[in-house]
Amino acid sequence: MRALFNAARTGIAEVRVHKMRSVLSFMAIAVGSVVFIDSFATIVSTYDRLQKQKEVSGIARLKITQDYDQTNSNPDEYTPPPNITYETAMSLKSKLPGLYMVSPEFQNWRNTLEFEGKRVVTTINGVTPEWAKRDFVYKLKGRFLDWQDLENKLRVCVLVRKAVPPPSNELTKTRMKQWNYTAAFDVLVSHNDMLGKTVKIDGVTFTVVGILEELSPSKQPDLIMPQARDYKVLAPATTLAHYGFFDEEYDSLDLNVDAGDENNFEESLKLIENFLKIRFGGDEFFMIDNQMETINEAIDASVKQSLVTISLGMLAFLAGGIGIMNITLATVFARTKEIGIRRAVGATRGDIMLQFIVEAAMLGLIGGVLGSGLGYLWGVPVKELLGMGASPIKPWMPAVSVLIAAFTAFVFALYPAWVAASLKPADALRTE
Amino acid sequence: MSISCSDLSKTYEGGHAGWPALRGVSFEIKPGEFVAVTGPSGCGKSTLLNILGLLDEPSGGRYLLNGRSILEMSDGERSDFRRDELGFIFQSFNLLNRLPAADNVCLPMMYAGIPRAEMHHRAHELLAKVGLKGKEKKTPLELSGGERQRVAIARALANAPKILLADEPTGNLDSASSREIMDALLKLHAEGITVIMVTHDRELAARAQRNLRMKDGRLEE
Ligand SMILES: Nc1ncnc2c1ncn2[C@@H]1O[C@H](COP(=O)(O)OP(=O)(O)OP(=O)(O)O)[C@@H](O)[C@H]1O
Ligand SMILES: [Mg+2]
Repeated sequence: MRALFNAARTGIAEVRVHKMRSVLSFMAIAVGSVVFIDSFATIVSTYDRLQKQKEVSGIARLKITQDYDQTNSNPDEYTPPPNITYETAMSLKSKLPGLYMVSPEFQNWRNTLEFEGKRVVTTINGVTPEWAKRDFVYKLKGRFLDWQDLENKLRVCVLVRKAVPPPSNELTKTRMKQWNYTAAFDVLVSHNDMLGKTVKIDGVTFTVVGILEELSPSKQPDLIMPQARDYKVLAPATTLAHYGFFDEEYDSLDLNVDAGDENNFEESLKLIENFLKIRFGGDEFFMIDNQMETINEAIDASVKQSLVTISLGMLAFLAGGIGIMNITLATVFARTKEIGIRRAVGATRGDIMLQFIVEAAMLGLIGGVLGSGLGYLWGVPVKELLGMGASPIKPWMPAVSVLIAAFTAFVFALYPAWVAASLKPADALRTE
Repeated sequence: MSISCSDLSKTYEGGHAGWPALRGVSFEIKPGEFVAVTGPSGCGKSTLLNILGLLDEPSGGRYLLNGRSILEMSDGERSDFRRDELGFIFQSFNLLNRLPAADNVCLPMMYAGIPRAEMHHRAHELLAKVGLKGKEKKTPLELSGGERQRVAIARALANAPKILLADEPTGNLDSASSREIMDALLKLHAEGITVIMVTHDRELAARAQRNLRMKDGRLEE
């Protein structure tokens, strides 16, 4: 303890006397710290995004759609694929209660919505309450559709309000019409309080029971694989069928499924295929889009990116460590005489080793603290200024980074310190 | 503390390999003696003193320090011996020029673990004893050669050693300063410390109790 204290005192004196040399060596370590903190933050944010992905979108996702492309079948024997109906969805759900979500969905394009004399073009989606179980990245005002709406085929609907509605001035309006025919709808929903009021869609009167407000871009969950969502009007699938928005004879629904436990995904997939086979006499009529694979690929890519950054951090520390080693070695040679003098008056090999190690560890410590400060500045205010979004830097990151910096310096000082301690006192004293 | 050497030899690795610096040196020094080692340049005086001071190891022969063979000592034990029982004075002073005189004197005490306050008190006492009162804060670069050598003597005395080893302590000093240093060493001898001094100066050597004359790595008598 006493020896450590003495070594620290000598070390501080040395660091102060050789300012330039000290600055250079702890800068090297500081760079390592900055990169390390950044990579820590990347890893943590990847983990956070993974959690969010699980929470918001789920992992074991798949989508069942009708498959028209039956290339392997003989044209004479071609049978058009059977339709997926609301009943199919309900039956799948009751046969396989383990599935977390079975959300049937149908989309109608170019509908006309009339509100207080204004007419806009929109799309309308027939859904069930299951729709809200996943990717519900909205703030709900009023209520969402419920099973009673479905059973009674009620004429109720929920409107989606854009976080950033398109500008409503005339020039952009005409220009926008060419590629965004629903822009007028977004403007209408943004500028009117329509909750509780009635609208006419293709002549059918609906009551607006809920408004889904899109979250502002900064509040939207940072997902590994965000779903493209472009909904305008949601209404009970049964109501839309009843009022002729689609015809179950000709139109097929899509089924968005979350199988629940991702570890049983393969099994769930088999059960679903089996269900389709039994119900329709074959599963070749349907396309099952395995989204879990895609999501997992995206997760893998994120994890790989984290590993790359952490290796960069390691590399930066390595470079810093080599810098410390180089400088400590140079110091040992420059101070050989001093080593001899200290040995002559009674310093042991251990005392000499400790002196150089403590000195290097101090450089590492200063570099780590400096680097952590810089890393924080870069990760939060600078990144925000550059519009890159602040890194999620937690208090333990700089702390760990400082420890690693000091430890790196310690490890790389071992060899030079050993060189110093191995000098024979007589030889060390003879140098000039 | 007694010194007993028999048939000491030393051959340096590298350099003039195979040309021994010491070839069979035997002698004894009793506690409290003042011995001068003399001889022409290159005859092995410094080599002998380094071995006696545990700064270097002999290639052959036996060296008993207070009855113990130094070859049996660990590096730590040798360091402790240097720290507690031996004091060194060199021709080129060998002070740490960055540190003030007092801190130089403190160095051996620091390794002995003496508390700070006591250490500084003793350093000031020792510097006063060698006539450097008021110069405690000066660094060696701000002192004359004679003053530097007196700082070195104060440092050598820090842990109250029993043996003082001086390698041409007056080699870099004028005759007046040399005399002062010699007087100081004689005074320490009078206090009971064993003094072993290498010197070229016949006059100084004559003031020692005993002379060991060396030539080509051997003792002449
Ligand atoms: N580290 C070394 N490596 C090789 N040879 C050495 C080494 N140190 C001393 N010698 C040789 O050993 C011999 C004795 O050297 P030493 O320094 O003991 O002489 P000295 O009597 O002290 O001389 P001086 O009076 O000039 O100081 C010399 O020939 C010298 O060249
Ligand atoms: Mg010599």
